[in-house]
Amino acid sequence: MLIEIKALQQELPALRDINTKDLCELLASLGFPVDAVDSSNGTTVLEVDVTANRGDVLSHRGLARDLAAKLETKLAELPVNTLAEGAPLLPIRLESEACPLYATAILDLGKAQGTPTDVQAFLGHMGSNAKNLPPVDASNEILHRVGHPTHAFDADTIKGALIVRWARAGEKVVTLDGVERTLTTQDLVIADEAGAIAMAGVMGGDSTKVTTATKRVLLESAFFDARTVRATAHRHNLHTDASYRFGRGADPAMAKVARDLLVQRLEAWAGGRLVGAWTAGTVPSSRKPVVFDSSVINRVAGESISVTEASAQLERLGCAVDGQHVVPPTWRHDLGIPDDLAEEVLRLRGYDRIPSALPPLEGSPEPLSTGYLQRRHLASRLAHLGFCQTMTYGFVDQQEKQEFDPDGSDPALRTLRNPLGEEYSLMRGTLLRDLRDAAALNLDRGAHDVRLFEIAPVFVPNPKNAEEPIREIWTLGVVWAGETGGEDPLTPVRNIAAPEGKSHLIGVLKTLGISDDFLRAFQRWEMTGVVGGTRNHIGWQFEVPLEAIPATVERVIPAYSAFSRFPTVERDFSLLVDLDQSYRSLAEAMTAAIQGAAGEAFQDLRCVDVFRHKSLPDGRQAWLLRVKFQHPARTLTSEEVDVWMAAGLGAAKSLGAELRG
Amino acid sequence: MEPSLLPVEILEAQQDFPMALAACKDLDGLLRLKGAYIGREGSHAARLMELLKAAPKEQKRELGAAINALKNQWEETIKARQVELENAKKRAAALGNTWDPDLPAPMPAQGSLHPLNRLIDRLVDVFRPLGYHVEEGPEAETEAHNFDGLNIPVDHPARGSADTFYFEKHPGLLLRTHTSPVQVRTLLRLAPHIKEKGGIRFLAPGRVYRKDEIDPTHSPMFHQVEGMLVGHGVGMHHLKGTLAYAMKALFGPGADIRFRPSYFPFVEPGCEVDVRCPLCGGSGCRVCKQSGWVELLGAGLVHPNVLEYAGIDPGEWSGFAFGMGVERIAMMVSQTPDLRFFFENDQRFLKTMGGLD
Repeated sequence: MLIEIKALQQELPALRDINTKDLCELLASLGFPVDAVDSSNGTTVLEVDVTANRGDVLSHRGLARDLAAKLETKLAELPVNTLAEGAPLLPIRLESEACPLYATAILDLGKAQGTPTDVQAFLGHMGSNAKNLPPVDASNEILHRVGHPTHAFDADTIKGALIVRWARAGEKVVTLDGVERTLTTQDLVIADEAGAIAMAGVMGGDSTKVTTATKRVLLESAFFDARTVRATAHRHNLHTDASYRFGRGADPAMAKVARDLLVQRLEAWAGGRLVGAWTAGTVPSSRKPVVFDSSVINRVAGESISVTEASAQLERLGCAVDGQHVVPPTWRHDLGIPDDLAEEVLRLRGYDRIPSALPPLEGSPEPLSTGYLQRRHLASRLAHLGFCQTMTYGFVDQQEKQEFDPDGSDPALRTLRNPLGEEYSLMRGTLLRDLRDAAALNLDRGAHDVRLFEIAPVFVPNPKNAEEPIREIWTLGVVWAGETGGEDPLTPVRNIAAPEGKSHLIGVLKTLGISDDFLRAFQRWEMTGVVGGTRNHIGWQFEVPLEAIPATVERVIPAYSAFSRFPTVERDFSLLVDLDQSYRSLAEAMTAAIQGAAGEAFQDLRCVDVFRHKSLPDGRQAWLLRVKFQHPARTLTSEEVDVWMAAGLGAAKSLGAELRG
Repeated sequence: MEPSLLPVEILEAQQDFPMALAACKDLDGLLRLKGAYIGREGSHAARLMELLKAAPKEQKRELGAAINALKNQWEETIKARQVELENAKKRAAALGNTWDPDLPAPMPAQGSLHPLNRLIDRLVDVFRPLGYHVEEGPEAETEAHNFDGLNIPVDHPARGSADTFYFEKHPGLLLRTHTSPVQVRTLLRLAPHIKEKGGIRFLAPGRVYRKDEIDPTHSPMFHQVEGMLVGHGVGMHHLKGTLAYAMKALFGPGADIRFRPSYFPFVEPGCEVDVRCPLCGGSGCRVCKQSGWVELLGAGLVHPNVLEYAGIDPGEWSGFAFGMGVERIAMMVSQTPDLRFFFENDQRFLKTMGGLD
């Protein structure tokens, strides 16, 4: 909301002694922070941020009223001559409770029509152009000064009685902006006997608008229900200065005052001559009293505030306080419960005076959930293994189904109705799509070793469960692309996209505790991306629901298990095997054979070197297998180890391997 | 000695000796030189001995002395050079086993946690000593949890499809617009046990969605950390004490906070909380727009309607809640100029900003 300091000072003369910076601080302390100060037009205009519950401060006088309460001073008298009302000159029928009050007047306009230049300048500072049509400009000025929206009709265009009623379904009205609006039965309209002529509290109609030719005006200064006006403004996407103020709650007691101000201005600016003023309906009954509960005030404040002080604060805001109850003023629609009163007392005292204390610990704290801890530990381990954690939006395009088809279900079940665009229309069913794109981006930008992971939920349709139609499954996605090593003289460079590169990723996944079964079942290891315009294999990828990863247990020392103090024996086999020999089956067969022979002395068997060379027989490669033995209770003899190794070799031979000479 | 006593070629050899010696850069060369000058056979020294044998008797003494002098000179010089070369070889061999420790070392690759996750985890750590645990809820939420349970009016603009993402096939299911529905879920779940538990306190971090276009300061997905405490006699002073503690733990002992009145439907009273600018310490800078304060979070005392919705008696119980934007704090603290960097996932950004914990 725009506030001209000069106009604010006219409402609250005490502000003349306060500089702009202090005024901004003061406003912020009341809950109205100043977003911008503009002194470019010879006057200072503030852009004040007003929260949605405070329709009462959406004007210079409204804001000044709150400041006056804070500064314990008085507003300037409103320069208004209260009009004597007479008999209605035209029937006005209020057919809806959304309009309980309609103050009006009819004036004949004289010849000398013109809006004073200082008012034109003021309207300019409020961001609206003066039309130099006094009925329009005066209505606008009053809106910004006292906050009550009014309207002037060309009285000669109104046919018969004036009715405030719900619109008929499909009824049409052309509003002042020239747009034809089709109304619903929830829109409140001002109508004459021929049909709707204005959208109540939102915008006047084109057919009854005031022009330079207008000779006689009918003024409207009514009170419209906030919710009705908000809904209509929203429904027609028609947000006006009037709908903004009625929508946040106007002051019904201001209706007659605003009309009188309007009449005064038209008399002064347009040679207006009052034909008659009258009011249909009544000011709605005063606001519901709120229980005055000083225990709530004291609890909220964190200290004891005397009833006298609290009452005084509330009275300064216009409340009527009788000891047990508080009746809010007609302009405050936001005071409904004792907590609201507590807030007002604190606001005027200043939030900076609230004391500071830690609340006592009631009950015992709960442990951190295993889910949260698991994600945190997993992320930390992967980061230490050289992977960077990514964060992606979670929306993907409909291509995901073709490329990944995460769970085979219908993607329509996780499609958004109102996405930012087609490329963001689907809630993802896999993390691999976003990780692949992130990997490609890094490769394009010249990264060598691209290791990324993300831990986030993926969305899985769950159509049979009405309570939870979409399940969110926390998932880990990992990708590795580019090349690794080559960063120092001792680590050779290795291409990750090469067949052996997959071992790097599998090694990492195994250290995370992901089971062999899971790794074996996974189908989509190859990460393909678009590089240089064609689809290429650019690395390796893996995805797993977190529930398939053993959760890290709380860091408690595990039970002791005995370890052998006797020497370890290491023996190597160099085996010639076929190029398509499965390592897993060979290792399993040999392990079974050696373990069968050596029992608890067997420790480990692993391949430590692969040798492929043209000097080897065609179709064969050499694997160097290292076996470790250690007995829990004694030192091993060379002879017994020979026997065990022979058992292992036997198993290898049965699979077509032979000892390399 | 009469120079004429020695043959011309010996005299020449003697003359060439220093240069020939200097030309020997290694032990092999030196051994060849040694053979040529003082070897048993065919060397200059051997020739001189033959000369001596054949010399007339009266010359033998003088010639012998001359030959000996020459031989000794060659021998000693060669020996000295040999020691020199042998030492050089040993030194080189020893150097071959050294390694300049300043050469780049093989290091395990450095990954990184995402800066936003890191900040969230840090906040959890900050609130842990105060007894807060972590509560989470789904991102696909119901209107009831996201709006109704939070005292947000039915006609509030935030409910519109211009602000909130809705699912096509599930009426009433939306992407949560804040972490506050976790309040509702947690209160509903714990309400029956609140007496035995003696209150409720938790943090709810998570991803939230709003229909904002992607630009340097907006993102359709971002993160919030929500905090809530319900107990007996909870007031604004408790909120202030808690946040003052937390901000000092996060930004250091100089981190003062201030409260300003504000409004959120699910709290009463509501407030905005500013923290003394962590970058300039309050003296005024670009980040705090010279005010010395930066807006950090929204908070307030839990609205009685929110407690009632969950079945908790607001006559007995009261509480506070606060919610902060993780990206907002991250951008403020790190001075990252563009929000999109957090979601672009360039490893250079991630490694600089994230690091390891």
